[in-house]
Formats: sequence, structure tokens, C-alpha cells
Amino acid sequence: MKRAFMAALALVLGAGTVARADQVIVLNSEEASYSVLSRGQRTELQRVPLGREPHHLTQTPDGKEVLIASTVTNELVALDAKTGERKRTVPGIVDAYQLGFSPDGKWFVTASYRLDHVDIYRYDGTTFTLANRTFTGGMPSHLTFDTDSKTVFVSLQQTSRVVAFDLATQAIKWNKEVGKVPAGLVMLPDNKRLLVALTGEDAVVTLDPATGQTTGRLQTGRGAHNFWPKGDGRHWFLSNRVEGTISLIDSQEMKVVATVRVPGGPDCMDITPDGKELWVTQRFLRRIAIVELATLKITGSIPVGKSPHGVFILKAPAAPLRAAAND
Amino acid sequence: MDFALVRPLIDLWVGVQAWAFETFVSPLLYALDLMEWYEPAFNAVEFVMLGIVQIAVIALVMRPMERRWGIERDEAALVGVDRVYTALNKLGVIPLLVFVAAYPITNELDYLVRVLGLAPPRLERLVPGLHDNALLSFLAYFVLYDFAAYWVHRAQHRFRWWWALHSLHHSQRHVTAWTDDRNHILDELLVNLVLAVFAQFVGVQPDDFVLILIVGRLVESFSHIGLDLGFGRLGSRLLVAPRFHRLHHAMSDAHDPHIHDHNFAAVFPIWDVLFGTARFDIAPRPTGVDDREIDADNDRGWLGQQARVFRRFAAALLPVAMQSRL
Repeated sequence: MKRAFMAALALVLGAGTVARADQVIVLNSEEASYSVLSRGQRTELQRVPLGREPHHLTQTPDGKEVLIASTVTNELVALDAKTGERKRTVPGIVDAYQLGFSPDGKWFVTASYRLDHVDIYRYDGTTFTLANRTFTGGMPSHLTFDTDSKTVFVSLQQTSRVVAFDLATQAIKWNKEVGKVPAGLVMLPDNKRLLVALTGEDAVVTLDPATGQTTGRLQTGRGAHNFWPKGDGRHWFLSNRVEGTISLIDSQEMKVVATVRVPGGPDCMDITPDGKELWVTQRFLRRIAIVELATLKITGSIPVGKSPHGVFILKAPAAPLRAAAND
Repeated sequence: MDFALVRPLIDLWVGVQAWAFETFVSPLLYALDLMEWYEPAFNAVEFVMLGIVQIAVIALVMRPMERRWGIERDEAALVGVDRVYTALNKLGVIPLLVFVAAYPITNELDYLVRVLGLAPPRLERLVPGLHDNALLSFLAYFVLYDFAAYWVHRAQHRFRWWWALHSLHHSQRHVTAWTDDRNHILDELLVNLVLAVFAQFVGVQPDDFVLILIVGRLVESFSHIGLDLGFGRLGSRLLVAPRFHRLHHAMSDAHDPHIHDHNFAAVFPIWDVLFGTARFDIAPRPTGVDDREIDADNDRGWLGQQARVFRRFAAALLPVAMQSRL
């Protein structure tokens, strides 16, 4: 009897866990909350209060947690990356508009969009220790790392520049003007090309990560903003906020191979573990769009809160870490 | 909250905002290389939409109430110019000018504070229960903001040069729901600059600041309504009633030379009660300023008022010996 009861209990608990793994987290940046959505039912299940102005999130290096940054209340909230369960709060992380870990997991960097500084922290797996704060000016907004965890690159939207920091010394390696309103960045797997999306233009530029020199340019769509990896190491999605499209870029050929219309200011993205769907936050419409990748068509749109920004599809820790591009 | 019930309304509102932004504003920002203002501009569209709603509330609710139960007969010649002020304010023209002028100053102050390592106290950290309750947090900041607005208003009456500007607002002999926005541009700039800096230092967030402005101004529009209306003994001490605010606009006379130095509060009369400036008279009085120069504002249109009041302000700044030359 006791064995049957324990088996039934395990089934119920297991079923609950599987159900939670079906879920998607969307940050409602102007509502101090995040939405929990059901992927299968394509509906919002609940809206959870959070510290004010949560914009972006990132997975921890071990893949077990996803950290949500509340930029006004200056804290990180950690959710279990598989179940979405709230685990802990890390106070004192100031205005972490954008955040990310170096590939080796030893450095944690934040870009403070409102307070104009870049913070570099040492990370030992549990504790964040501020190594340096640099006031950059210019609205630092996005960041990415090189593949060998030596450098972090930060875009400064207001001053049209990208700045490179040496992680070990926190010194600035270079600071270059790249084009109008640079936003999303991605270091390609070859570690030789840094792509920068220009939200003030209709293009992505390629930089030499060692010097910051512009070495190429690819036209995409007006308001090129944010990257997300397709997961094959070659293709990247790019949201074009003004044009209301997503471009699929072949980083080897350096060309746009497909475009899908996603209205309402497409911004952050995540891809389902099976690689079949791309979920895209529609900032202006207070919705999240679901794009079927086989057909490149929108197959659904779920209402969420105000100004939805970061999105995370709950996944088991064994799933690959988010790539070096941060949203 | 069950969002499913209000979702159709939200979708309509958001749809209009997104359409207006993507059709008119976004292409303009892109063409003028102002894309770093992309997201604030999207919120500005909502500000204007809410302004339209406010104008509709004034025109369709408050003004019919005045025509039906008003203290005074409507005088179109006096009231017309106040509609211009209201339109310029509620539709964002004046706020945009104020923002453009004030932003460099508030931005530099903010940057200086950060570089010095100072950080404004966060109410959410000091007061338990505010952290995860956006509504309570908003109300707390609203009360703080109204406290600052009370003192700014007292300063407008206290300093001669500021009264020279603010007297335009008081010159109106026929106060209506349109009168709240009747202010000199320079007065708007000064008031909003002081309140924006205050808001920054107490940690009011930009979104809350805009919402505070909108809610506050709607309450203030109602408090100017030309009705003899109070909210009862208790109510009138909790929220500014039209009767309470009308006393602030009352024309002074030999009997009561400082009557307009009472009832300064914009939304919560508690500040007047606490600081000894509250008066709860019953009988309505004529409004305006007992000064021929200031009263003459009523004979001018918007541009004439702005020019004339600026001269009055400039004169008030000059030493007495030089004033006669003006």
C-alpha cells in the first residue's frame, strides 16, 4: 500500500515537473512582473510580481538557474531553469539592464543603461564580487564575450560606439565608433568576427574584435536590434524593430537567407529545445509571437504584460547554454 | 486581476498606440537620427493618448457639469484662451519643450550623483510591503510628489519673480476645468524642473513620474471646476475639492488681502492642514487678482499673455532702480 502510494506521489510530482518544463518566462519590463506561459496551451498561466523594471535575464554557467535582473530594485532573482521555481534573490546588483556570464563562467558583466556604467564581477559559482565599475556614458545596452573569455564587448547606444574591456584587468582595450545606435552584439564561433546590430540604421556591421575596426556590413532591416542563435553555430536570428521583421543571417556567407514579418517592435527571442519554434517578444503590442521555423510563419501570439522584453523557455540543465550573444 | 476581462480594451488601446507610433513617430525618429529616443517616444505616444482622454473627460463630463450647476455664467471670451493652454499641455507640446530644456540638467545631475557614489533611497527597501506591490509603491511616490508640489506652489507665491509668472494662472476671472493648464511656459519649466529633480532624488521612476503627472493633473483639472462643491468635512481634508481650491483663486480685498496664500495643495489637502495654510470657507468668492496689470492678462490671447508675463517676470528680476525704465 505504502509502495503504491509512493509511486502515485512520484507520478503526480513528476507530472507537475514535466508540466512546468513546458513553460515560458516573459519579463514585463514596465509592469514589475513576469508572465508564465504554457507552450502547449499557448496561454498565460500566471503573472508573478517582481522588482521594478525587469528587462533581461541570463542562464547561470551550470545551466541550472536563470537570473532575472530588476534594474530599479537592483537585484537578481534566480529561477530554476527547468521548473521556473523561485530559488533565491541576489541583492546589490545595480541597474543590470543587460547581463551575462563569460563562456568559462568566471566573469559576470552587467550594462547599466540608465546609470551609464559597466560592472565586471568575479563569479565563483555562487557569489558575485564586483571587480570594477566603469562609467562609460552613452547608454550601455548590450554585451557579448569572446569565446576564450578574455574580452567583453559593450554597445553604447547614445554615442554610437562599442567598447571592449579586458576581463582580467577590466581595462578598456578599445573604444570605437561603429554606426548609429549600436545594440545587439554576437561573437561568431570562429572568435574572429564580432557582429553589431545598428538600431539607428538597417544593417549589421562586422568588427575585428582585436581592434574594433569595421570590416564588413550587411543590410538587414530598419532598426536592426538583437541577435539570437538558431543553434547550429552558423545561423542567427536578428530582430529589426522599426521594420517589424526577423532576419535569418547565414554567418558564413554573411547574407540574409530569410525574413519573417513580426509586427509590434520585435525584440528578444528564444528558441524551443526541439528547434521548431522561435518565440519573439513584441514590445509595442504587449504580446509574444510564436514563429514556426519550418514555414517562417507566425502561428500564434499570446498577450502578456506591458513592454515584454526578455524571454526564456524553461529547459533542463543538460540543454546547451545560451550562446555568447546576449539579448 | 483577471486580465481576460479587460484584454479587449487593452488590445484596442495598445493597437492604437502601436499604430500611431509605427505610422508617424518611428519613421520620423529614424529619419532624424533620433533612434536612441525610440522607447521613450513610444511611451510619449501613450502620454498624448492619455492627454486626449483627459481633454475628453474635461469637455464631456466636467464642462457640462459647470454649465448645469456652475457658480458663474459661462464667459466664452475669458475661457477660450484656457482651452489653448489645455490643448498645448495635454497633447504634449509644452511637456516636450519642458523635457528638451530640462533633460540635460536632470541628466547631468543624475550622472554626477552616480559618479559620487550616492544613490537615492529606494522606498521599496525602506518600507516593507512596497517591494512587490506596484500600486502601493506608486501611491507612496504620489504622496511624496504632492508634498513637493505643495512647497513649490508656496514658493510660486512667496518669491516676487515667481509670482510674476504664476500670477498669469491666478489672473483668470472665470475659473473652469480648463484653467489648470493656464501657465507661462517658463513657469511650467521651473516647476517641472524642480519636481523632476526632486523625483529623481527620491527615486521616482520615469514611468511612475508620467503616471503621477497624468493622475495629478486630472485631479487638478477637476479641482478648478466652476462648481461650489466640497467633499464633506472628512473628504475635503483627504482630497482637494473644487470649493477648497476655489478659495485659493479668490480675489483678495482689503478684508482678506492674503486669501490666495491658502490652500496650496494640488491633490492632498493634508499638507495645508499640517503647515497651517488650510482654509475651509463655505461661501464661493469671485476669482482673479486685484491688480490692474495682472488682471489685464484677461484681455490678451495666448501669445500676448506669454509675452506680457515674461516682461513682468523680467521686471521683477531687475533691481527696483531699473524697473522704471521698463
